[in-house]
Amino acid sequence: MARTKSQAVFKGRTPSPSPSDTDRPAGPLSIVVSPEDRDVVKVNNASLTELKNACDDAVKRYLSRPDLFKQIYLHTDVRLGLGWLSVFTAGGTALYGYKVDFEKSKPVVWAGLALYIFLTLVQTLYAYFIEGETVFVGKRKTFSKRIITERITLSSRTLPIKSTSPLLATLSSPLSVLSPSNSSTSASQSTSSVSTSSLSPSLTTPAYSLSLSYVRSTNGGKSLLAKGKTRSAQPYTAFFDEQGTMDQERFERWVGELVEQGMDGKTA
Amino acid sequence: MPTKKMSVQMLLLQFLSLTSSISGMMVTYQGLGLVTNTESPVVVVLSGSMEPAFQRGDVLFLTNPSQDRYMTGDIIVYKVPGAEVPIVHRVLETHDACAVEPLSCASTQRLLTKGDNNPVDDIELYEGLEWLERKHVVGKVRGFLPFIGYITIAMNDIPQLKYALLGGLAFLSLIGRE
Repeated sequence: MARTKSQAVFKGRTPSPSPSDTDRPAGPLSIVVSPEDRDVVKVNNASLTELKNACDDAVKRYLSRPDLFKQIYLHTDVRLGLGWLSVFTAGGTALYGYKVDFEKSKPVVWAGLALYIFLTLVQTLYAYFIEGETVFVGKRKTFSKRIITERITLSSRTLPIKSTSPLLATLSSPLSVLSPSNSSTSASQSTSSVSTSSLSPSLTTPAYSLSLSYVRSTNGGKSLLAKGKTRSAQPYTAFFDEQGTMDQERFERWVGELVEQGMDGKTA
Repeated sequence: MPTKKMSVQMLLLQFLSLTSSISGMMVTYQGLGLVTNTESPVVVVLSGSMEPAFQRGDVLFLTNPSQDRYMTGDIIVYKVPGAEVPIVHRVLETHDACAVEPLSCASTQRLLTKGDNNPVDDIELYEGLEWLERKHVVGKVRGFLPFIGYITIAMNDIPQLKYALLGGLAFLSLIGRE
């Protein structure tokens, strides 16, 4: 029905496939992971940095699985390259200043200092503007009728506590919030409850916000098949119990759902 | 293999966080030296020859502006060629041509120094020279912090402490994450 309609409107063009086409590659939820493959992840759940890092690492591990995306290490490589370059200039400058007399070494040391400051500046600007909150950039090529290239970018941040009543915020520790749980079946160890993924404007527990942008194309990136951008947030209490053990299955399920939404072309 | 690439990268990243903090400190020290025009902008007092003004273990901050004319009473740090360590003493006499050439006289000054706590002046310390020239002067003392230098003295006298400190820092930065 929809197909003939679009055929009538765009005469010289083959209709672009609808998202539920058989062209759509397998989403992450269809990949099953056995529990024995996992290492236990345990963090200090009073530290927001550790919680976020654990979630970021879980995203990377999950989406780098063999049948899923292949991680693109561009940001890491740039950071490594610039960082080691600045270390070598600093080391070289220090060595030169040590070997050569102070007065004679001054021009070279000035040059080394300027180079180091420049490299550090470039690193900082790159991390702030270009890398930003990106956690994972991945690519996948599947071959059904033609070569389909997918590219996915995930970025994350922590949403801090923002409460209308400051007393509430200070009294409640991140894991002591209990709200009526919905019918999701959590792992037996998790004693805290899950709040729905829609975020209330006043947060009483820190949350992990994951944003995702997805592009599916073919013909070497020239014809666009699907494009999606989603974002969702969950409080950290949904994935970490009181001991700080991470419920990786639930986390992966949530990430998988988000990725599939992105693959289906939803825009949030 | 994705895991192999990740582990080489993770190792490089961890080493980078350690070495970049060390190199940052080195660059700061060198930059400070360039700005103050002296090769050692921060020194530690090792002897008691300037008591009661400076005790062993005090940290001194030096600058050495090339146009500055040093006067009797200034406390300077100098290093004679052939000496192992720089010495911090007070200027006793200056001889210069400033009455005749006020603009370029600072670089041709000749100085005589003496430690406050010493009975005689420093001629014997000059390794054969009869006077100090400006090029031997590391800098003039502008300020000091008491006692902090004992860390450096302890690390020099007990080498194990130095290695223990470095090892501890390396360990901490390798197991942590940025």
